[in-house]
Amino acid sequence: MNKTKRIENTFDIVRILIAIAVAYLIALIILALISDDPLNVIGLFIGGPFSSKKHIGDIFTRMIPLIFTGVCMCFVYAINKFNLAGEGAVNLGGCLAACVAIALKETGVPGWICIILCIAVGALAGMLANAIPAVADQAFHADVCVISLMLNYILLYFTTFILKNVIKDQGAAVTASYKLGNKVKLPKLIPGTTIHIGLIIAIACVIFVAILFYKMPFGYKMRAVGINPTFAKYIGIPVTSTIILAQVIGGAFAGMGGAVQILGMFPRYKWESLTNYGFDGLMIAVLARKNPILVPVSAFLIAYIRNGADLVATKTQIPPEFVSIIQGIIIVLVAAEMFLSGWKKKLIFNAARKDLKEKEAKA
Amino acid sequence: MSLMRIGAFLFSTLRLSTPLIFAALSAAICEKAGLFNMAAESMMLWGALIGVMVNGWTGSVWVGFLGACAAGVIVGLLIALATVKGKADLMLAQIAINLASTGGTIFMLYVVTGDKSTSAMTIQSGTLPKIMVPFKKVPIIGPMLNKQNILTYGAILAAIILMIFIKRSRTGVHIRAVGENPNAAESVGISVSKTYFLTWAISGLLGGIGGAFMSMAYTSAFTKNMVAGRGYIGLCASSMVAGNPIGAMLCAIVFGVADAVANQLQLTNAPVDLVMMIPYVVTIVVLIIISIIKMSAHARKIKSKAQEA
Repeated sequence: MNKTKRIENTFDIVRILIAIAVAYLIALIILALISDDPLNVIGLFIGGPFSSKKHIGDIFTRMIPLIFTGVCMCFVYAINKFNLAGEGAVNLGGCLAACVAIALKETGVPGWICIILCIAVGALAGMLANAIPAVADQAFHADVCVISLMLNYILLYFTTFILKNVIKDQGAAVTASYKLGNKVKLPKLIPGTTIHIGLIIAIACVIFVAILFYKMPFGYKMRAVGINPTFAKYIGIPVTSTIILAQVIGGAFAGMGGAVQILGMFPRYKWESLTNYGFDGLMIAVLARKNPILVPVSAFLIAYIRNGADLVATKTQIPPEFVSIIQGIIIVLVAAEMFLSGWKKKLIFNAARKDLKEKEAKA
Repeated sequence: MSLMRIGAFLFSTLRLSTPLIFAALSAAICEKAGLFNMAAESMMLWGALIGVMVNGWTGSVWVGFLGACAAGVIVGLLIALATVKGKADLMLAQIAINLASTGGTIFMLYVVTGDKSTSAMTIQSGTLPKIMVPFKKVPIIGPMLNKQNILTYGAILAAIILMIFIKRSRTGVHIRAVGENPNAAESVGISVSKTYFLTWAISGLLGGIGGAFMSMAYTSAFTKNMVAGRGYIGLCASSMVAGNPIGAMLCAIVFGVADAVANQLQLTNAPVDLVMMIPYVVTIVVLIIISIIKMSAHARKIKSKAQEA
């Protein structure tokens, strides 16, 4: 790798870390300003998520859906098509997985087959959800972002329709489906925490996607299309099919995320609004710089910050939503090319000058 | 359905359409400048919150309304700052702003009032005046227009003014020129970054007014997440007609009709969720049809050019 490239890569990581640090600092300042007991609150925000085995477990549990949607958005972001249907795909995947679970509850099908079926149906649902905007974009040049935003609402209302008319348990006090049954409940991984086997599935997906991205021809084609579609076309990559396929594969993970979240965390299906996991996934993909291997790291970071905020909210009156301000700041700072760009130029310039001097000295 | 009920239905359609029209206009001006406005959602949220707060402090609804406008403009300018000066990706910057606004408005409400979900208990705020029409006895039109909020008329007026502004005014032509081809516009001396800032400011103004309608006319308080996707619907309404303000208004009203139908059906046993789906399905279908028409027109153009040559 040449020197400029190396500086750019290191610089990118440093820049993201600085962005996170700046945003985190802003959050601490906000907390300090508005709470009556700043030291305790800040302590809770920083240290709370690590204060007990259960709390550490909660971070990992929270990561699970974020990893799935993060991976989904890595595909979308890698080919530069802002297909946000991953948001609705989570709901659809969760809802259809719940339907399958309820349908198989009374049958003699063994539990692990049920779980696999549920997750597979979730994945299929996600693929379908992401395929619609992808095809509309590639076949008819309709705006993929607008279509996917609309589709999210269609999927939401479709799932609430199924919830209220097909799988609703009339006996339940609130709008919720029948019990999914213990058969499909994802087993706990570590006793005393909420971590379930979904974490293993999520990590397996990350590894699979990392191989797909960096070790298989499709991943290379996909990244080439994302960087420069015209160039990709001229070297003979089937651009249209690559773009559609990438989004469809990505959708599978969002759908799986919904299914895993429902099977792992809830005794009944009761999502009546969009979960926001899809948009979170986009943010995680941005933080991970489209690199699936870094998705768990950024998911961990977001889960940690959110759990800290939730803990603060349980002990004080401060609403946990204040972390979304941090998240916004992080994304803007990471996305803004001009942020610290002067420094980067200086670094590259200095390195080049040093090179030149060395060459002159040799000569 | 009696005439009375038709009138009531049309009344609620117009009322529900008003915030959608403002959102659609906010997206339309951006579309004309070649931009993509996903952030009408944030503009409206901040407009709604700040409007109520300023109203509470000063006791004047109209000062509150100005506050809402200012809040929207500031959100617009923030996006311009991040994307024009900071060279951030437009989509990412807007997703970030939307994310920060959903939580940020709740947080600000908490800091100011100590309440986390609504300002109804803590801030004394009023609503903008309603307009009584003299012909309220006329069937259908009378009940449809009587007691409609002043901002509903404002929305229709705004669409007309925006249309004239974009078509006729010098700045409007500049905005369209930048939208067609920023490089070409720059080469003839139009400052692209200034135009972007101006576009975002106007867009923010319209979004802020839409927010003011939500919290100072539709209801009389700020509730968390009260915009509930209306900004996105506005974006779709505008992209269906490629940013034409009057067209965007009409599309927004179509969404308003669907909202009103869904509201009516909520009282019956009909599957409300499926009814709620209809406008979104219609949008997608219409968007695809429009894209196909554009594509075939483009193909015909190329073909005829080829034949000429």
